[in-house]
Amino acid sequence: MKNITALLFSVLSTLVFSQKSEALIPSQSSSVFSINNLQLLEKISVDELITYDFMEDIHQELFDGSTEAKSLNDAGIDFDQRINIFFGKDTRYEITGFTFGIKDKKALFSVFDDFDFSSNWDGKTEIYSSLFNHLVIQNNAAMLIRVEPVEALVTATTDSIWYARGNLSPYSQEAQIEDASPDDDTEETEFIDLSNSIDYEKNYNELLDSVQFYLKKDGLDALLKGVIDRGERLVNHAPAFNELLTHPVAGVFYIDRSRSFWYLKTILPRLFVDMKEIYEGNLITGDLILRDHAIDIDVTAQYGQKLGEIYTEMEDSKFDPNILKYIRSDHPAFFTYNINLRKAYEKAFEILIPILSKQKNERVIMNVLVLKLLDELINKDALFKTYKGSLFMTFNGVKKVKTKKVEFKYDENTFEYTDVISDAEEDMPVFTMGFSTERGDIPEMILTHLSQIASEIENKGDYWVLNKAVFNAAPMFMTHRNGLFIVSNDQTFIEITSTDMGKKR
Amino acid sequence: MMRYLIILLPLLFLTSCIDIIDDLTLHNDGSGTLKYSINLSASKVKVNSILALDSFNNQKVPSIEEIKKTIREFQVLLANEPGISNVKIDLNTVDFIVKFSCDFNHVNTLQKALKKTIATMNESPILPAYDGDWISWDGTSVARIIPGAIAEKSRSYQNSDLPLLKTGTYTSIGRYDRAIAKVTNVKCKLNPSKTATFLQVNAFELRNNNRLLENTVVLTPLR
Repeated sequence: MKNITALLFSVLSTLVFSQKSEALIPSQSSSVFSINNLQLLEKISVDELITYDFMEDIHQELFDGSTEAKSLNDAGIDFDQRINIFFGKDTRYEITGFTFGIKDKKALFSVFDDFDFSSNWDGKTEIYSSLFNHLVIQNNAAMLIRVEPVEALVTATTDSIWYARGNLSPYSQEAQIEDASPDDDTEETEFIDLSNSIDYEKNYNELLDSVQFYLKKDGLDALLKGVIDRGERLVNHAPAFNELLTHPVAGVFYIDRSRSFWYLKTILPRLFVDMKEIYEGNLITGDLILRDHAIDIDVTAQYGQKLGEIYTEMEDSKFDPNILKYIRSDHPAFFTYNINLRKAYEKAFEILIPILSKQKNERVIMNVLVLKLLDELINKDALFKTYKGSLFMTFNGVKKVKTKKVEFKYDENTFEYTDVISDAEEDMPVFTMGFSTERGDIPEMILTHLSQIASEIENKGDYWVLNKAVFNAAPMFMTHRNGLFIVSNDQTFIEITSTDMGKKR
Repeated sequence: MMRYLIILLPLLFLTSCIDIIDDLTLHNDGSGTLKYSINLSASKVKVNSILALDSFNNQKVPSIEEIKKTIREFQVLLANEPGISNVKIDLNTVDFIVKFSCDFNHVNTLQKALKKTIATMNESPILPAYDGDWISWDGTSVARIIPGAIAEKSRSYQNSDLPLLKTGTYTSIGRYDRAIAKVTNVKCKLNPSKTATFLQVNAFELRNNNRLLENTVVLTPLR
């Protein structure tokens, strides 16, 4: 009996005191991707796991130049526990991070070597910080987190302090001219004048930095108080997430779409209440199942009746078989999207407009008026035949694309140099995107008129070019073929598409 | 100016193709003009994609506005140094080309002003490793080096595209009032009138061997 009691105590102690990594996910998280390492590592090795793109993000957070030779395998991570990547955003803060198990703390800090000890929160929870990130360690689980105040909060707080001190706009030229010396004869003196004047913009930006720094600290403190002191953790607030964790699959994802409306809570509280009715319980959950030569994703969407009605109309659509012609077997990745946009619009209009019409907010009322007028006046046949709701996107790999560069050309006699524009090639990820259209003449009409005023848009006969469209360097190509409007940064693909793959407009 | 590169090194070495020109005009009295150009136009897709990030390799990526502010700060500080005038910096944010130029009343003044400006911007005294003369002028010969610490720092930045640096160049040009008698770097070319030197090295090789640009130019005696 004594042995059984000891065994029970031991099991209970393990259950109570062993911290699971998923237990550290903050309740503010609206999206979580949880990797079940036990399931996953039966199928693939850790070395293979760390080569996946989603692990690359974790890798980048963990490793810098000083840990060049190390890998996730050396990081002291307990692969018997889950790795959970989370994201959340509300009106004030955006949180991103991941939680994981710790097997060897010493090894962990040989990789997290830019983290300094910050505090021991409650005697059981250690906090470490680096320039951007914070590491929270509780028992044998850890959470790496970044808390960023949203830009609107930083700006609003800074402005309230700035103007409360009697300052004018930091960007107002009058404010600066008043303090500058009235000497503007030469370029040289211009610099001296500026250095003697008060740089309001610089002062404002410094205040902005200080406010951001304080808000980050404040946000982190509030989050840690919630997670550590008050148990504000996702596992305590989201039964659906807990249920997901019981699935015997390689990974699960959890997206709480009802959180997307948090921002309405303070801006339009009445609308928040009404919209909440529609989006209440709108959860997208899914399982990631590894097969021998494939990955299956099993998605479940939970929604109420009204949202369900919109989804039903949205899904009442046939896949456009023309799209298949543009997805080749050698494309590393692709996705297709197929909805009946017109039916979805009409159902959404029917459900949402009465809710919006009840609002007292001036902005909402004006928007409802505009929506109703557009609904009455716009040629919906033309609109929904131009974009029906079927689209595809392919990733065609990394290719050399033509760009322009500036070269220095030297005079052999004087070694003076001039800038000369010449052709160049750079590696670029190549994408193709297209959508089904019965009114390809409408995008063509738009491009024809835009090309008259924008020299960057050129008609090449069978296709259009938008120069310097990608990163202000590489062109995009557009064409209309086989009932599809296609956009790509792969010139060869567009040229072949425009000639070989069909002449039928 | 080489030391100022310390500030830009992370961005420069994260990009693959880079062309740099330093163009020094040195008059008999030690005064002159320094022009410095950094051309990243052949890597503008890559530079733009890095600038679109918040951080890269655990280092904060500056915004264009922050880069402009830093450049303006450098310009104002350097312009206020005695003996320095006509400080101009042109930043082309479409092709990513930076062109700097300034006049100086003596080459020693230029070095001192650059050191002080960099120390002020870094809010710390110049590190001893970067101290010392990178250019010296005795009225007849001019000697130029790249401090080893700068080269070491550049090598510390890891970049998977480093082999692509092989297409980049560093060009060092010197212009003088009188004819050149001899140069110590065998790769250094002279113009037909022998009043200018041209030394171009590969950016990748320079990263591995900072002594490639070392050169002493001896001028003919003053008449």
